[in-house]
Amino acid sequence: MTDILELKNVTKDYRGVYAVKSVDFTLKKGEIHALLGENGAGKSTLTKIIAGAVAPSSGEMLIDGAPTSFAAPKDALAAGIVMVYQENSLVPALTVAQNIYVGRERFYNRLRGINIAAQQLMQSLNFNVDPTATVATLGAAQKQMVEIARAVSQNARVVIFDEPTATLTPEEKHHFFGLMRRLKQSGVAIIFISHALEEALNYADRITVLRDGEMVTNGRTDAFDRDSIIRAMVGRTLSKDIYGTAAEERSIRKPGKKVLSVSNLSMANLVKSNSFSVFGGQVTGIFGLIGSGRTETAKIIAGVLKRDFFHGGEVHFHDQSVRYITPQPAVRDGIVYVTEDRKLEGFFEAMSIGENIGMGDQAINGGPLSVYSMVRVRRLAGEWIKSLNIRAINEDAKVIELSGGNQQKVVIAKSLVQHPKLIIFDEPTRGVDVGAIVEIHNFINSLADAGLAVVVISSYLPEILAISDRVLVMRNGRIVEEFDGETTTEEKIMYAAVH
Amino acid sequence: MSDKQTIKHRGAKGEFHFAYDDLHQPADDGVDMKIHQELIVFIIWAISFVALSVALPNFFTEGNLISLLRSVSVLGILAIGMAIVVIGRGIDLAMVATMAVSVAGAIVLLQQGYSIPVALLAGFVFAVLVGTVSGILIAYVEIPALFATLAMGLFIYGVGRFGFFNQDIVLIPPEGGSLSWLGAGRVFGIPVSILFLLLFAGLVALFLRYARIGRFIHAIGDNPSTARITGLPVRKLYVLSYILSSTIAYCAGIITATGVGSMNTRIVNSTMLYDVILVVVIGGISLSGGKGGVRNVLVGTLLIGTLLNAMTIMDIQYTVQNVIKSMILLIAIIVDSLLNPRDEQTAQQGDI
Ligand SMILES: Nc1ncnc2c1ncn2[C@@H]1O[C@H](COP(=O)(O)OP(=O)(O)OP(=O)(O)O)[C@@H](O)[C@H]1O
Ligand SMILES: [Mg+2]
Repeated sequence: MTDILELKNVTKDYRGVYAVKSVDFTLKKGEIHALLGENGAGKSTLTKIIAGAVAPSSGEMLIDGAPTSFAAPKDALAAGIVMVYQENSLVPALTVAQNIYVGRERFYNRLRGINIAAQQLMQSLNFNVDPTATVATLGAAQKQMVEIARAVSQNARVVIFDEPTATLTPEEKHHFFGLMRRLKQSGVAIIFISHALEEALNYADRITVLRDGEMVTNGRTDAFDRDSIIRAMVGRTLSKDIYGTAAEERSIRKPGKKVLSVSNLSMANLVKSNSFSVFGGQVTGIFGLIGSGRTETAKIIAGVLKRDFFHGGEVHFHDQSVRYITPQPAVRDGIVYVTEDRKLEGFFEAMSIGENIGMGDQAINGGPLSVYSMVRVRRLAGEWIKSLNIRAINEDAKVIELSGGNQQKVVIAKSLVQHPKLIIFDEPTRGVDVGAIVEIHNFINSLADAGLAVVVISSYLPEILAISDRVLVMRNGRIVEEFDGETTTEEKIMYAAVH
Repeated sequence: MSDKQTIKHRGAKGEFHFAYDDLHQPADDGVDMKIHQELIVFIIWAISFVALSVALPNFFTEGNLISLLRSVSVLGILAIGMAIVVIGRGIDLAMVATMAVSVAGAIVLLQQGYSIPVALLAGFVFAVLVGTVSGILIAYVEIPALFATLAMGLFIYGVGRFGFFNQDIVLIPPEGGSLSWLGAGRVFGIPVSILFLLLFAGLVALFLRYARIGRFIHAIGDNPSTARITGLPVRKLYVLSYILSSTIAYCAGIITATGVGSMNTRIVNSTMLYDVILVVVIGGISLSGGKGGVRNVLVGTLLIGTLLNAMTIMDIQYTVQNVIKSMILLIAIIVDSLLNPRDEQTAQQGDI
């Protein structure tokens, strides 16, 4: 028997609405199994059931042919099943090493001991993260690496990765898949969820596609191609491909009025004397490796972070020198930053979709004594659920109950209702499915067409190329090169970012 | 799988269900997560109320019920103030001290011959000041709320005890007699103090649910970083929430003092503060912020108020009373976690 894990007729419903419905699923020893589907299809829920984090409403799970049920993730862990979650689950106040070994501390823990062990682990994985750094100081990609390292260190037989590559740069992805192959060779079975279909086609042995909680198809990877997967995922063919063809058809927008000009911006050693401008009516893409200071630069402009007090440089917005201490005045002036880390600072988890969007709206509208209109909230929710195709079990669902991609859409909607003049998207399509990427890109384009200054920060080159009219490349805390969106190539941009 | 089934299912997901709407309050407060705890607490209260009425001869008497309502009303008003701060992910450990000192201060002014409005206003201003200072320490100096309000409580009590009044019990002079209606009066047989509780409950419930600022307080409690990045005035909101808790504490203090004709400032060293926190938590307001509302406070108040009253009638020793209270809290929390098992991912954010 080579099936290490088998699910039979597994169902999970939330208040009567199915997240996973009568799914059969098998995982063979030493295989890489890709789980695909649209946002809200039930991928995370299915894998959480396997990892013991969610109890199924009905159905059976067999491990090595024996019926099993897990009451908690620790039971699954004991059975050799480890899961790396979509949203990070690290303790911000602890160091990287402590996070890797958290829950497995011995009675007396030598800090030096775990630091050395973590260092060796990181080296063996080719991850460039300091084990003694506090997790709060890490960027999203580095946090993801720590999560992966923690999973690997647990000697699992089954490892589940929920969108592991969403936050990684191409180079890191390359390492990651190398690592996945090594795990596979050592007999570990791997389930991974991804919205990048190429990853599934290139690295998976088998593919399972979910739609609306049901298994629509599964089989060996050779039996699939991009189109057949998309058809299975959405139940129709997408009219146009997101990357590639779309980029060629596009014409480049001319720069409008200069909206933002930044000169010699500096913050600690993350942003170093950075200078650039952003124009209205076009999309400015910013590419750079992780740690190049893109996010920090954007956050300074939007008042989330403060630049250096002395020699911090200048920011001019619509020809006015601005220096925001908090985001509030920036938002009121029309500068909005859409975060890359939605769980940390993107949404209000206990609030509904409408209330989240309503918060964005209320932040700029209404006086101190005004009443918060539920009617308005419902209207906003209705509009945005429709235009971004946000899916939830019902309209009042709390955002924490949404799938990752749908949470991302809520975060975007919450910023768009603030009628920005300059909007900075930091990794806007992270965790969003193929169909929704098209929708979000269309949205970004329509914003630029309407005359807004739009900045898109992305680590994914095809995205940068598909959407930017101008590409700025950032390296070591400053913009080092500028390209025209029409004529540039992946190679040129990558070269500038690395050298 | 037949096609038909799939289509039906798509419909169910695509067009949203509103069947729940009838049960639901307007999308709010994490009500449906906590409705269990609220309900459980309410049922426990109902059962114990009946049991106590049967078992204790002097429990279900008019005199005792009135005194029960009176003590409940002060506890409830304080808990409503505390709830505002806790929903904003803070805590106000200075509430009882604020109540005692501001009211004692006002009474001292009365004793010195100031008119009633002047004395009341002075006490109010003092309470606002205390709230403002706590709020500024927390929001701008970034001292954790626990320490800032603990220190603030000790400080004002110390200052008050040596500066304003020199005995523990400050008596309301005869000129202030007209105030006694606030704490001891009745309207159609109902104690005025309980009407005040209902008034505060109504106002604060409306504020938290429908006022823009009230929703903002939920937002900063839910996720302060998101609130900041969304452009909410996070710091001002913190300050405001402490001003509200302080002034509500002052009002509760006025009702207490006018009810008995004096302010016993030793209350600062009693377990009252813990009773208030107990009420808030047991009603189902999460200490990690963002969740809950006035309804939670009301059920918590009923249960804790009734039990405190019963234990006093039964003449249970103070220390034993504390043991019982803590047991109740533990049971409530355990039952809640059994009924609402959390999913791994939701549990990760800073629950206390
Ligand atoms: N705790 C919960 N309470 C209520 N509904 C939930 C909960 N968790 C998930 N759901 C619902 O179940 C459905 C499936 O969600 P799931 O997270 O599994 O999707 P997913 O396939 O991982 O999507 P994504 O690609 O966006 O991450 C969604 O409609 C979601 O709203
Ligand atoms: Mg998911």
